[in-house]
Amino acid sequence: MVSSSKESKSEVGRRNFLKTAVVAGAATTLPDEVSAADSPTQAIKSDAQTKRGLAAPSTEQMNMEASTLDQLAEASSEQLASSNSADTASSFGSDFMIDVMKSLDLDYVFSNPGSSFLGLHESITVYGGNSKPEFITCMHEESAAAMANGYYKAALKPAAIMCHGTVGLQHAAMNIYNAWCDRVPLIAILGNTIDAADRMGGTTWRHSAQDPAAMVRDFTKWDDQPASLQAFAESMVRGWKISTTPPMEPIALTVDSTLQEMKVDDRDGLAIPKFTPSEPPQGERGAVRETAGLLVDAESPVIIADRLARTPEGMSLLVELAELLNAPVIDIASRQNMPTKHYLNQTRQSGRLISQADLILGLEVTDFWGQINSVNRAEMTSEPRVKEGVKLITISVNDLYMKSNYQDFQRYAPVDISISGDAEATLPVLIEEVKEAMSRSRSRALSRKEKMFRKMHADSFEESRQLAASGWNSSPVSTARMCMELYEQIKTEDWALVSVGASERFVSSWPHRLWDIDEHYRYLGIGAGGGVGYGLPAAVGAALANKELGRFSVNIQCDGDFMYANGALWTAAHHRIPLLTVMHNNRAYAQETMLVQGTANRRKRGVDKAPIGTVIQDPNIDYAKLAEGMGVWSAGPIEDPEDLRPALIEAVKVVKSGYPALVDVVTQMR
Amino acid sequence: MKMTALANILIFLCLFGANFAVAQDIAIERGEQTYMRVGCYECHGTDGKGNEAGPPLTPDTLPPEAIANFVRFSPGRMPVYPEEILSDAEISDIVAYLDSVKPSPDADSIDILRGLVSEEN
Ligand SMILES: Cc1ncc(C[n+]2csc(CCOP(=O)(O)OP(=O)(O)O)c2C)c(N)n1
Ligand SMILES: [Mg+2]
Repeated sequence: MVSSSKESKSEVGRRNFLKTAVVAGAATTLPDEVSAADSPTQAIKSDAQTKRGLAAPSTEQMNMEASTLDQLAEASSEQLASSNSADTASSFGSDFMIDVMKSLDLDYVFSNPGSSFLGLHESITVYGGNSKPEFITCMHEESAAAMANGYYKAALKPAAIMCHGTVGLQHAAMNIYNAWCDRVPLIAILGNTIDAADRMGGTTWRHSAQDPAAMVRDFTKWDDQPASLQAFAESMVRGWKISTTPPMEPIALTVDSTLQEMKVDDRDGLAIPKFTPSEPPQGERGAVRETAGLLVDAESPVIIADRLARTPEGMSLLVELAELLNAPVIDIASRQNMPTKHYLNQTRQSGRLISQADLILGLEVTDFWGQINSVNRAEMTSEPRVKEGVKLITISVNDLYMKSNYQDFQRYAPVDISISGDAEATLPVLIEEVKEAMSRSRSRALSRKEKMFRKMHADSFEESRQLAASGWNSSPVSTARMCMELYEQIKTEDWALVSVGASERFVSSWPHRLWDIDEHYRYLGIGAGGGVGYGLPAAVGAALANKELGRFSVNIQCDGDFMYANGALWTAAHHRIPLLTVMHNNRAYAQETMLVQGTANRRKRGVDKAPIGTVIQDPNIDYAKLAEGMGVWSAGPIEDPEDLRPALIEAVKVVKSGYPALVDVVTQMR
Repeated sequence: MKMTALANILIFLCLFGANFAVAQDIAIERGEQTYMRVGCYECHGTDGKGNEAGPPLTPDTLPPEAIANFVRFSPGRMPVYPEEILSDAEISDIVAYLDSVKPSPDADSIDILRGLVSEEN
């Protein structure tokens, strides 16, 4: 079965060395291909260099270059496969691990290379043919984790990251936390050398830990460090299942380097267990029925949805429920739950509606307390913003995955009915029960509200439209102008706004105010843990998914966020990931400028120092140049709003031909 | 004699007008500097055109007294600006600046905004 004695390990070591030499030999024949494969990026770059500002490489040119690249990529993988044909049988531990990954239909591993997972790295590219999973080169583990997050939200399919269980995981941790707060499944594969006798000094010691996953245990749902290949198979499949069962969350698997290198003599003696997705937990029928009755009888019910729509089905179900009751919906939109142009999407009236409601139904709302109370952060005070006697009901998986240390679970909210269950999975039953409880006359009575809600919807839309005109010609460019010029260019595409910084409020929520967000995939929410450094890599990961799905990916990119992990742009260029990035370049950590301003005002000791430490000026950063330097077509910095349209038109062309593009817009702070 | 008196009055009015205009320009400039220095632009935009973080301050800028009244006791998100960090005179300058800002176009005169409808049909 599996040889695990020291002798056979050193045998493996020698064989590995020889094999590595063979691969290296094969690789020596590759440089031509590698450099040729790089040439399209180079061509784009030089083209961008000459035409930077307003012109794109011609579509023809890029089509030709892309097809040349595909041929070269195919040729080189064939060459590699044939050069190793004698060795393609599963023979190393890491090869078996790839078999397990393939059995789960894993498409991508987002990774930055590291010696603790060399075996896996080589197996992905050589044994696995760099397909399912494909190795996506990331320039920072933080980017890898955000890419996997964005990828999941667009593809609705988990991806893996692979990093050193020590230094790599230290980098990845923040965006694993963002994924945790976002209820996103993610498989973190952590390289490690558990057996100290197998550590060959220096780095192998520094890059080993007794318990690597400890660092992220507070914000992963499960982790394991399997000690055999058979245990790996079971842990990988188990981890996948745990991660993708609502509440979906990241999991971590520490993968021992010795296990990766282990020679497998009897592959048939190893079994890959069958993966069966778990059905999500559904709310208890009796409580759902009671909720339905209360909803039907309520005079002014309000539905609040946050992470309800795990899938497009969630959106359809919410629309159906809201229409049955003619109940307004407030969409916190950590996922797109309700189409923005549906008359029952009353998000902009949330304050008024919540304060008048006689029943509030929260669907996968993380911070329900925050919805029913108003907080004055500066004064450190809060007060209820709901009527006395309001019935409060929640359906969520919130109580099913809590951990103690990190406080992302928010303040405790007392409610009248608390249903533990996945809201999307519970809605069909709730809808059924509402239909059951609804008399004809009640239905007629409720339908009379439609006119009022249509008017309210139209009024708040008009208010936003008027506000968008204010400052239309300003320089720095208003966020309204930036967002609406962008929308004008993409609205006829099958677009998806894959990322919008740490909060959509950073661009005054223009997409949700005025764009027609009519599909679940058109908006993917934000970095849920509030960890900045999510936006760009998450956009790249989502755009990778959308490339296959034929969607046009758009990223509104804050400058501060950009500078945490801008290497993600190179990943987009390298892997030919079409993505339109529009910089909301307010030359500041504006959120912090405002917060420092507020603090200074409260302390009354001078109010003119807020920019210290919070602005990104002197020197200004040239994002177009940065992009260009990474092989990405770019334009800007644009200060005159009149220059925006022609730049966007060109950028859209570039993206439609399969490449990333960036337009740097110098903007107002909000 | 009569002519000279008239001329004198005219000269006086011109000078007064010019002086007034110059004084007004200075107030506008001072107002803009203060507006930026104390951070109004962070939420209301560099020219007071507003957004979600802070409402537009122009057109129809409130008179200085009303603004002073608001910023001294602001109950909401708006940071409070007491007299010792923003004087009444500075508020008057800020109002002069905001009054001088060019108005924005009407939403219906903007091609992109004109055709927007609130509901899909
Ligand atoms: C990892 C991390 N570091 C710092 C912060 C604090 N923080 C919150 S918002 C923000 C500013 C982000 O700037 P930018 O992305 O440009 O957005 P802006 O507010 O300027 O629109 C910072 C630094 C954070 N949330 N996360
Ligand atoms: Mg910024």
